[in-house]
Formats: sequence, C-alpha cells, structure tokens
Amino acid sequence: MDYNILDNLKYTQTHEWVKIEGMNAITGISDYAQHQLGDIVYIELPNIGETIEKGSSAGEIESVKAVGEFLMPLTGKVIQINNLLSENPEIVNQSPYDKGWLIKIEILNLKEENDLVSADEYKNIIEREDK
Amino acid sequence: MGSEPVLIFSKQVKKSQKNFIPKMDLEEVSLENILPKEYQRADLNIPEIPEIEIVRHYIGLSKKNYGVDNGIYPLGSCTMKYNPKINEVIARLPGFANIHPLQTKNEGALTLIFEMAKLLGKITGMDGFTMQPAAGAHGELTGLFIMKKYFENKNLNKTKIIIPDSAHGTNPASAAIAGFSIIELESNESGEVPIDQLEFAMEEGDVAGIMLTNPNTLGVFDSQILEITRIVHKYGGLCYYDGANLNPVLGICRPGDMGFDIVHLNLHKTFSTPHGGGGPGSGPVGVKEELIHFLPEPCLISTHSGIYCRENSHTSIGYIKAFWGNFGIIVRAYAYIIALGAEGLKRVGQISVLNANYLRVLLKSKYNLPYDRTCFHEFILTDKKIPNGVTTEDIAKRILDYGFYAPTIYFPLIVSGAMMIEPTETETKTSLDQFCDVLITIYKEAESTPELLKKAPINTPIGRLDAVLAARKPVLKE
Amino acid sequence: MEFIPHDDQTIIEMLRVIGVENINDLFRDIPKDLLIESLGLPTGLSEPDLSKKMKQLSELNHVYDSSFLGAGCYFHYIPSLVDFIINRSEFYTSYTPYQAEASQGYLQAIYEYQTIISRLTKMDIANASMYDGSTALAEAIIMASGVRQKTTILIIEGIHPEYINVIKTYCWGHGLNYKILRIEDLNLELSDDIAAVAFQSPNFFGEIQNIEKLVEKVRLKSPSCLIIQVMTDPTCLGLLKPPGDLDIDIFVAEGQSFGIPPSFGGPGLGIFTVKQKYLRKIPGRLVGKTKELFGDQEGFILTLQAREQHIRREKASSNICTNQALCSLSALVYLLSVGKSGLEEIAKQNFLKSNFLKKNLAKIPGYEIKSKNPTYNEFVIKCPNIDALIDECEKVNIMPPLKLTYYYPEMKNLALVCVTELNSFESIKVFLKAANTAINIGGVKDGF
Repeated sequence: MDYNILDNLKYTQTHEWVKIEGMNAITGISDYAQHQLGDIVYIELPNIGETIEKGSSAGEIESVKAVGEFLMPLTGKVIQINNLLSENPEIVNQSPYDKGWLIKIEILNLKEENDLVSADEYKNIIEREDK
Repeated sequence: MGSEPVLIFSKQVKKSQKNFIPKMDLEEVSLENILPKEYQRADLNIPEIPEIEIVRHYIGLSKKNYGVDNGIYPLGSCTMKYNPKINEVIARLPGFANIHPLQTKNEGALTLIFEMAKLLGKITGMDGFTMQPAAGAHGELTGLFIMKKYFENKNLNKTKIIIPDSAHGTNPASAAIAGFSIIELESNESGEVPIDQLEFAMEEGDVAGIMLTNPNTLGVFDSQILEITRIVHKYGGLCYYDGANLNPVLGICRPGDMGFDIVHLNLHKTFSTPHGGGGPGSGPVGVKEELIHFLPEPCLISTHSGIYCRENSHTSIGYIKAFWGNFGIIVRAYAYIIALGAEGLKRVGQISVLNANYLRVLLKSKYNLPYDRTCFHEFILTDKKIPNGVTTEDIAKRILDYGFYAPTIYFPLIVSGAMMIEPTETETKTSLDQFCDVLITIYKEAESTPELLKKAPINTPIGRLDAVLAARKPVLKE
Repeated sequence: MEFIPHDDQTIIEMLRVIGVENINDLFRDIPKDLLIESLGLPTGLSEPDLSKKMKQLSELNHVYDSSFLGAGCYFHYIPSLVDFIINRSEFYTSYTPYQAEASQGYLQAIYEYQTIISRLTKMDIANASMYDGSTALAEAIIMASGVRQKTTILIIEGIHPEYINVIKTYCWGHGLNYKILRIEDLNLELSDDIAAVAFQSPNFFGEIQNIEKLVEKVRLKSPSCLIIQVMTDPTCLGLLKPPGDLDIDIFVAEGQSFGIPPSFGGPGLGIFTVKQKYLRKIPGRLVGKTKELFGDQEGFILTLQAREQHIRREKASSNICTNQALCSLSALVYLLSVGKSGLEEIAKQNFLKSNFLKKNLAKIPGYEIKSKNPTYNEFVIKCPNIDALIDECEKVNIMPPLKLTYYYPEMKNLALVCVTELNSFESIKVFLKAANTAINIGGVKDGF
C-alpha cells in the first residue's frame, strides 16, 4: 500500500507530521494515520494558549470504528487551531498535510526537533507497522 | 411509500387516552392551593396515540427485527442460546414480579438469591457469590473494586492490571474506571498468554492481578492456565476470570480450580436469560473464601434461624447498585439451572463445543482459519482468502440477505478481518448445515459477483447504512 | 429439561465429520487435573415439576392487596400493552442491534424512546439506558468529573440512602472526593474546584425542592460546576417542571415507574439525559438516524460508538456494554399508552391522593406531618407507635410504609408513606383506620 509522505516534513513514531517555520510549527497527522482511522467524524483540539508537553495528548481524532490520540510532537504553546475541522472533519482524510493541518504552536524547546524523524525514516516505520 | 421511516409520533390524535388510569374517587381539589404554580410544568409534549396504532406500530417494527426465535444467531462471545419460555412465565408470577425490595415478608426472594449463590459456587468452584451486579461489565467493576480493597487492606500499592490483547473491551474499560492502569500482553501465535512476558510484568511488583477469559475470545483454551495463575499468585497478585466464555466448560471444568480468585458470570449468556435487544442482564461475582468479606452489600448469610443480611462489615466494598441486583433475571437463570440439573449443564458444555467444531471443520475449506486447532464454543474466520477485495463486513451484510444474523465482526481486534462464530448448543444440525451452505454460497459469490457483496444487504428492510454520516451529524431524536 | 435438539445418531455423524472418536476428545486441551466428574447438583426437572417448585418458592413472598411503600421502588398501573409488546420474540430474544440493517425494528424503538424521554424531561439528549437510577447517578458523577477534570463532588442531603452508598463506592473506586451537605451549607462549599453538585427532587423524603433557587446559587458561586438532578419516581414529570426548564446539566432517574414491575428491585431502568454540549461525553449507547449508502431511505444505527468501551477500551468514560434495553422498550410503550393526558392525570392522582392521606393522617392524634416542603407521592409522618401501625397494616393485607429507622437509626417512629394512583379511596380509608387503631395499642413511645 502506498502512503503519501512529504519529503519536506518531519515525523514522529506515532504518525504526526511537523512543519517547522522559524519559532513556530504546524502539525497534523500523516496520510497513513488517516487511512488507519478511516472516515473521520469528529476532532477534538486543545484551547488556544494551552501549553502542551511533547508526547502528551493534544487532542482526539474519532472515526466510526476507532479513536486516535494526537500526541504533541514538540513541546509548545498552542497559537492556532484549524477551525474548519469542527464542521468538516473529513478534510483531514482528504488533505492530511495541507488543508487538514491540526495545530499551530510556538515551539518551546528547540532541542526536541532532533527527536523527530525524516521522511525516509518515517517510510521505514510505516513499512514495519504495515506487515 | 416515501423514504422516511414512519415514527410512532406521526400517529398521534387530539384525543385523551384514559384507558389506563384508575378512577379518581377522591374529591377534586385545586392544585394551586397545595402546589406553587412555579413548581408545575407549563407544557408536556408527549403524544396521545390510540391503542390499536401502538399495537400495529410495534408489531410492524418487530417484523423488522431478528431474534434467536427467528433463526441462528452465531454471535461470538454472546452465547445466543434458546431462551426457555417457561422462565418468562415464572418470572411473571406475582410472588416474584409484584414484590417490593424493602418488604419484610420476602423469604422466597432471599432464599432464591441465597440458593442461586450456592449453585453458582458449585458450578464455578468459588466459595461466595454476590448477585448484585446488573451486567457483566458491572461484575467486572465489582471484582476490580474487590481487588482494590484487598490490596488497600494490606497497605500494598498495586496499581496495574494485566490484560491480554484479545480481551473484550469492557476489561480495560472497567479496570480504568476502578483506577488501575493497564499492561497489555501480546498473545502468542497459538493465541495463548506468553508466560515469560507475564513473569516479567509481575516481577515489577506493582501488579494487582490479571484479567482473563478461558477459553479466550479466540476460542482457545489456554492449557497453561495453572502455570499462569501460579505465577500471578507467586508475586502476590489476584486472578480475575471473565465468565463470558463459560458455556463450553459448564460441567467440564471450573474457573475456581484453574486458580481464579474472582469470577464474574453473564446470566444473559451462559444461563439462558434473554438478551432483550441489549439488556437487562445480570453479572454475579464469585470469590474465594479469603475475599468473601469484601463482597458488596447487601450480602446474605445463612443462620440457623434463616437467611439474613450480613451487617457491619468494615471490609465490604459497599453498595454497587441499589436493592437486590436484577432479581427478575436471577429468577430466570435459577429456574434454568435447576431445570437442567448437573447432567443437563454438562451436556451444554459438551454440545456447545461439538456444534462449534462441526461448523469450523465445514468452513475451513473456504475461509481462513487463523487458529487451526480444536476450538471450544467459538472460532474465528477471517477474510484473508476471500477474493476480489471482499471484506468481512461485506460477508456479514450478505449473510443478512439470506435471512440469518451475522457473526461478531472485527473482534477480537488482534485478528485482522475477524469473524467470530459461536453457534451454541441449542442449534440443530440442520440449522448449522444451512448456515454453512450460506457461507459457502457467499464465498462463491465473492469469486463470481463481488459487486453483489459490496452492495449488500439488498433483501433487508433497508440497505447498508451510512455510519459516517450518523457520527458526523448525529440526529438522536425526532 | 433439556434444550439440545440432537439425537445420538446426529451426534455420531457430527463427530465423524469433525474427525474425532468421541466428545471427550474435543476437550483434550484441558489439563486432566482440571476435569470434573460432576457438578454435584441435583438432577434436572421437567417443566411441570419446575413450575410447581418455583410457584411454591414465589408463594413464600407475600403479595399485598395494596401498598403504601415507595422509597425508590413504586407500584403503578402497568398497561397490558407493555407486556404484550415486550413479549414479541423478535424484540426480547434479539441482541444489541449492531447489524443495523437486520435490526431496524429495535433501533427505531430505541430512537423513539430517546425522543420521548427527551421531550418528557426537556433535556437535549437521552441515551438508550443505564442499569438503574443508582448507577446512572454514579456514572453521571464520573462523567461530570471527566468533563470538569476535577475530583470533588458535592452531594445534597436527601438523596436516597442506597444511592448515596453506591456513590460512596464509586467515588472511592474511581478516586473522587465527595462531601454530603445540607442545602443551606452549599454556599460555604461551592468553588471552582467542584466538579458537580448532585441533588434529588422530589427527594428521598418526598419533598419537592426549590430547584430554581438551588441552580441560581450554584451558577452564581461556581459557574462551571455541573448540576446533576436525580429522581426516583419520574411519573411526577406529568406535573412538575422538567429538568430541561431548570438549567440542569445531567438529569438521571430510575425509570421503573414507567411500566416495569417492582420485581424485588430489579431489573430497573437508568434514565440518563444531558445538555447538548455534553454529547461526546455521555456514556451508554445512542441510536441515531442516518441514510442508506446506496439509496435514499432513512434508517437507524448505533452511533458515536467511539465513546464506548469496545472502541475506546481503557479510555472509555464508562465500561457499560449490556444495558436495560427491554426495560426502555417497556418505558416507551408505557408513556405512549398513557399519553399526555394520561401521564398528567396519573401525576395529579399521585399528588392529590398522597396529600389527602397526609392531611387526614395529621388529624389523628399522635400523628404529625414532618415534611416541610410540598410533597409529590411520598411524605414523612411521625407516628405514636410505628410498629403498631405496621402490624395493623399487615392485618388488613396492606404493604406498610417504610420505617425510617431502616436507614436512619435516629429517626424513631418516623414513617415514609407512599400513595400512588393505584391506591383507591377505599384503601386510603383502610389505612386511616389502621392508623387510628394503632394509637390505641399499648406500647411505649420511643424518645424522639
């Protein structure tokens, strides 16, 4: 199965993606993740202003048959959330890397960027899981 | 004909229905004098519907439903066996139905509850039972509360519960409500608990115990069970038995002998009480001697002058439900047990396993059988060998077209595309053969006309429904 | 009795197909040490013998001509339609309607139940049922603590003592703190750290609370606190202001009064309703309306299952699986059978008859009304000699009221009396006569 993986993004072991933009980052879930979940029906996102630690739960993505926890890829302060998703959660299925972004944060610990994996490494992670 | 279902509310009339109200033989008094106006409701939007309309509506709805009385209901882990009709008559006797939980002249009820506890103790090899929990999950919660109290009493901080990945979802949910965190064990290729991992997890010292069902949801009897319970006990833990799968071992072996300290049963599964479309059920919990004093209140004890409630137990976990549990369900299950007797219960175990293995052997030629060994009361097939991208869901929906109910699908979660089949002991060979024929036919349809399966069901009152829309835009009332 | 249809020949055939010699071969995976010879139970009974034995057992429980006992379980008239409909095999022998296309009948019935409960209570969302009133209250508390992410609950005195016991167990098990207090002391305890305030109205002693005042108090001092109301006899909703009009966040009730026989306290029906904003947090099953995928018919399906244990597992807010489905069907048929005017009349009769008895009991020397607020169908009366009253009731085959010392040892000679629409004027007269006779019985009055 071919999953879309964008080269210019960083990833986590738990299928989140990160786009670093200076001191900020935009995050979302990967194409593999949305595929595993199936049709998404509801997304719960944190409040603006909240500070969330790396690895902590920053939201939940519900499909008909499963619930995925969105884990913060980097410790950060929430500065924006994707408001389109409350009415149209299916955008995450259709465009997980673009229109389906989830949270924009102000990065609070730049060193954590080193823990993220590259597109190639993420490809290996998926291949191992998909067996 | 229209594409909208006709709801009962559309049948309302502008006429008061007073058929069910006793005559008001008191002098009419104005309400205002005794009840302030601001306490009274201003409007009441429930309909007035003529009796004949109610009857026709619900008879009509019943025709769009399917029960064990219609045909085979092979839902794995649900034990959809025949519900004896005599039990419905018995439960409706005035001396069972019209009695109040707080009335003092209740010797029959207390005797029944007490005797039931004794019978269940013999059946499971446990020393004491509570009949309070209202369902299996409620029983699990009760059992976990008992575990919690047990360790609290010993001043030990045990915060974790071990649960195999094949477990029913209520197991981890109940453990979480009871304040435990979960260690999930990955079942090995034979579908059994990996002993080395179990020992490793127990060594940490903070494990309260393990929750297991045996045979498990894969239909496999874990033959290492004595070793498993031994290891858990070695490190001071307790062993909990989820009795959902008790049917195949009735009269054959007992969880108490396997080393379990706490057991819950599902009266609406193993003991024939009707599922009622989702309830009511009953989930009594049995324990070994040393845990009896933790059992919830009210707890019955037998003295030379009769059966009474235990008083002033400082170690009981307290109440988990008001009054006496789902008494009406206990009555039915009690009648079932004494009607079958020792021999009858053993036959249940034997024939439930016979029927499941018969189906397994007939179906393995076409369907993938991930655990290819003698099964117990249920077994799992998957959609792995099914051609043309036809999935387990498609097969399940197509089974409905042939007038049968589909097996449990996509459970347990550890087997991809699982279809769990449990025929129970009350199915005839003809019924089993017919079910097999349908599954084989469907397989052939998958080969030749897969589009048919993708669109299934087409013969049911309604076609495949959009679950995604229902969850995105929930409409939960009219 | 036996329900296994196979004859010996059939069994032999099936064993041959499976490829084993005899049935015991199928149990080879069980270690020999575990196999038992027999369960040690008596032999089974045929249907006539079973019926006789169970009838004898049932007759050891006394059935009264009329009842003046409530306290959380009530005698109301059950329309013949209820049993008629729940006895349909297609309903009562069916399973949870996971295969929606073959279960439209039951799914629609549950949808209609959700609708009628929502209308009756004027709450936005009703689920498909919980076990009973006591566990519904416990689950409401757990839900509230999850929503608020706080662990302290305030419990107003006057909730049914057995319900309070259940809350105590659940709070201990789940790691929550609770405080039981009088309504007057609410202001002292309210703060932003409180997850919820729970109260019962009409309360255990039959008194109708001033809910508006209570809600106002809470909203003023602790605006984000959840307000939970519990009720044990919802027939009062034919008369009293519903929770939806009173800004209640979670309303739970024991639905046994709606067409379910007392049955020694179970099965009952846990009614559970919430405001719209708690949609994703409500426990239990929900039926929703949807469309076909390949057509345009509308139908019904279990929905929002991602909240439930079979998907969320340890992150589920509740572990409930089997609920009280057939009891919610009973309640639905009950409410439809009596209809709007019927329920209004029933509530009025409960209220008027009970207040009539209360007033006339107070006229008998030695009897004193203890209820301060207006009461629905239960009230507390002080008796000159409660044991004598109970004896006199038994003599005329009336189920006596509750001796409150059963739950509260300090409440000597206090009775909780219940009167429903089933109590005729005749039976009320008989009770008054018994009360009169009871004061003439010698006996020492306990200090009070």
